[in-house]
Amino acid sequence: MSRVKLTEYRAKKIILGDSYRGISIRSDGGKLAPLEAKGSLMGWVAKVDQGVKKRMKQGLVAIGVDAAKAKEAFAAWRKKGFSQFLLEPLFPHEASEEQYLSLERVRDGVRILHARDGGIEIESHPEAVTSVVVSSESDIAKAAQATKLPEQFLHDLLKAFNDNFFAFLEINPLIIHGDEATLLDAAVLVDSAGAFFAKSWGEDDLVKAQAQHKAEERVEALAATTPAQLTLKVLNTEGSLFFLFSGGGGSIVIADEAQLQGAGDLIANYGEYSGGPTREETHLYAREVIALLLASSAKKKALVIAGGVANFTDIAKTFAGIIDALSESADKLRKYGVKVFVRRGGPNEKAGLELMREFLTKEKLLGSIYGSDIVITKAVEDAIRHVKMTS
Amino acid sequence: MITLNDIRKKPQGVLVLGNHPGIVQSILDFDYACGKSEPSIVACITSNRKSLKFFFGKGEVLIPCFQKVTDVPQALAAKVNWMLNVQSGRRAFDSTIAFFDAFSDAYGGHIFAENVPERHETELIKKYGNTKIIAGPSGVGILVGGHLKIGAIGGTGLAQLEQGKLVTEGSIAVISTSGGMTNELITDVALAGKRVSFSLAIGGDRFPISSLTDILTLAEEDPQTTMIAYFGELGGVDEYEIVEMIKEKKLTKPVLAYIAGIIDEAFDEHMQFGHAKALVARKDESARAKREALRAVGVTAPDTFPEFLEALAKLPTPEFHDRVVAMDSLAKRQKSILSTREVVDMDEIPTFVKGGKIVKRENAFAKKALEALLGREVKSDVTVALGEAIFELLIDHGGHVSGAVNTMITARAGKDLVSSLAAGLLTIGPRFGGAVNEAARTWIDGVASKKEAPQFVEEKTKGGKLLLGIGHLKYRIGIPDPRVGAIAEFASLFKNHPHYDFAREVEKVTTAKNGNLILNVDGVMAALFLDILAEEEGFTDKELAELVDAEFFNALFVIPRTVGFISHFIEQKKNDEGLFRLPDELLYVRKVNENVVDKKGKQ
Repeated sequence: MSRVKLTEYRAKKIILGDSYRGISIRSDGGKLAPLEAKGSLMGWVAKVDQGVKKRMKQGLVAIGVDAAKAKEAFAAWRKKGFSQFLLEPLFPHEASEEQYLSLERVRDGVRILHARDGGIEIESHPEAVTSVVVSSESDIAKAAQATKLPEQFLHDLLKAFNDNFFAFLEINPLIIHGDEATLLDAAVLVDSAGAFFAKSWGEDDLVKAQAQHKAEERVEALAATTPAQLTLKVLNTEGSLFFLFSGGGGSIVIADEAQLQGAGDLIANYGEYSGGPTREETHLYAREVIALLLASSAKKKALVIAGGVANFTDIAKTFAGIIDALSESADKLRKYGVKVFVRRGGPNEKAGLELMREFLTKEKLLGSIYGSDIVITKAVEDAIRHVKMTS
Repeated sequence: MITLNDIRKKPQGVLVLGNHPGIVQSILDFDYACGKSEPSIVACITSNRKSLKFFFGKGEVLIPCFQKVTDVPQALAAKVNWMLNVQSGRRAFDSTIAFFDAFSDAYGGHIFAENVPERHETELIKKYGNTKIIAGPSGVGILVGGHLKIGAIGGTGLAQLEQGKLVTEGSIAVISTSGGMTNELITDVALAGKRVSFSLAIGGDRFPISSLTDILTLAEEDPQTTMIAYFGELGGVDEYEIVEMIKEKKLTKPVLAYIAGIIDEAFDEHMQFGHAKALVARKDESARAKREALRAVGVTAPDTFPEFLEALAKLPTPEFHDRVVAMDSLAKRQKSILSTREVVDMDEIPTFVKGGKIVKRENAFAKKALEALLGREVKSDVTVALGEAIFELLIDHGGHVSGAVNTMITARAGKDLVSSLAAGLLTIGPRFGGAVNEAARTWIDGVASKKEAPQFVEEKTKGGKLLLGIGHLKYRIGIPDPRVGAIAEFASLFKNHPHYDFAREVEKVTTAKNGNLILNVDGVMAALFLDILAEEEGFTDKELAELVDAEFFNALFVIPRTVGFISHFIEQKKNDEGLFRLPDELLYVRKVNENVVDKKGKQ
């Protein structure tokens, strides 16, 4: 579905195999004894391994440390909220040796970007960057020629890239001594859809964006148990506009309308239930959004149940699930003066809308309700008018 | 690549990989509403099913199912020119390649799955990108107004077919990255009093197999399409393909576009929206940048969706003719239980007595029974005669056998005919009477394996397993089962009998180990019936295997033995000996604490 960060430890382990000497440290960092045993004349490099960009600038890398110093660094980083670290033997080199290399999967193959000078900003110096697209095995030699990188190294790197369903790989800096390549820093995005096929990495090796809100965590757990798509992102806990979106494209159109009407900052959440969820799944999902709505201290609040004309999601079934969730909190919703605004079309549209209209009317929660014959943005327009009326 | 007009000119056939009943039904409804005489869905590739039943109009049709694309028989395969792949993201890649390997001339199709790995997508692009039209992965498929629907596109409800005016040939091409918005736009076009010429959901994945350029070229070259309505989102750079095409004059028809994603500007960081591609990675991937680039080359790209709809409504509308479809009558249709034929055609009642004389009708019952069981006319007298012989021989085998015993005991418990018969029939199974079918399977496997009998026996009996169709408690080498000899004579009536020959080879191997391991009556019946059906009735290996799966061969035992059980029932009722109780001396009762004492003794 999307490109996800892999830990640097796993990325290097996959690329370099057994010759990689890095150590992944996840818990308390107390078991650093092997460090002394393994020894390194020059000491070690300790860093945070959680897909953070510009670690050096943020002070999340410690160079030339021994076990004791590494422990200190870990302790300091833990206080900042980090929990995954990496230790590697220090590799002495000159700054002038540092090169830049990245691989990205593109439509016609894998695009290689290379710069002799690793220190430059790639985007602002296109003239310093060599770009080659490798579409077949025979292109590798050409790429080696253009970049002056060892052909065998490129060959092995591309094989690892393809075999392990990588989508993006950045090595910066890269040091080349003869035919020997050393990856000082490697960032990898894997294709999450490849998880089933790639045997070398699993859930544990992915760097996940920390769920910012308990509700997001619960929806994530729910989504893991169904083929339907359920996503939730809490944008503003004190927002006024709460959305139950059904489907990728339509949800952006509706959210756009809010932004265009100057209500972007009132949006409390984004996410979707789509891909034919069951009544029960929709119920559990809607319950989370309604709980967020009830918790917001905004004076005027609205729930917008909106989406395009579905292709195969059953409107009556999913609306029944939303009604299940609404019934649980109907009294509270009414007390806070919450109104519900609906626009939806698709299979069983008529039955679904009728069900919803009847319920909302009975519970005195009805803002407005529209079917596929009315423009997709109408419900959110009405909702914005409602929340802006007094606030 | 095929053109849209070529698609409109002749009937199109779709092979479904996997099964998604809602989508398949919506395609059949579309076909019916278009006035087609038969569905565009030719067959489904799905295991465990032989056919799937769908509505075609008010009536129902059976769509044949096959396990592999290569199993589709030539007569059906000749009709296939599109693929609808509804398998999961894990299987989409392999199944797509298998399809185009088998149907290399097919025009393209739709891959429905989300979560197809990027690497698989780029490999499919390399293989088919230049020659086929493939919508997806993800999205909802391809629609050619009034002619072809591959996927959920345009909806799956009957009402949607009418609302979107999908069966009318129109003039507006609807192209969208989002599946949901494809349908939204199709509906909007219809509400604006216009009709769709063609629609395709490219899918929200990073690497759609057919690129936006491919699809726009299709629309540009289509004489019926006068303009293009496009829905795009933030993320990716596809829209710059439109810009390039317009600049190079490869796209000259007017384009009306809505690029969603202004909302992204409300957040501190770029957000990943629903589709894989919907994340702004570079400045030029934002909705605003893309709108501006499109406007710069003359595309109408309004700021808001309502403005987009207003612009759509203002477009000139070429004439079109709606097809009137009476959908109301379809809404009330009901599924039936599958029954495609009358088991026995009794339109012509035979003459039994004529001119005061009995009309001689040889083996009439056996013939009719076999025809009913096989579902086709029986051509050969040999087949009928073998059926008759088996029916005659198997009516009864005495009151000792377990099925007869159960019938009698039940009858003596005061139960009725059907209950007593059922008790007997329910006894039929692997150890009693029910081995004919398994024997048939053994001979089919044996002949198909092309192995020598000794090796086959060795493999089949590994771990002490029994070969059904071989062995008898009483008869042995030297004391042959007279029934087996009588039936075996049928082999002299026709030339090729590979199953029978194989069974005899097996018997040579098994009797060398144990004289009781002779070919028994189940085994010989099964072998000869297989050979006769192949030789005299033209059954293919596959049809024979289907008969085994449907337990046809056990019916050869059940039918005559039913007569036997009923006879035992009638006899019991006549004699009425009262409730049966097993005599004490026949029941071995072990004392409950026998073992316990033993154990104690040992301790």
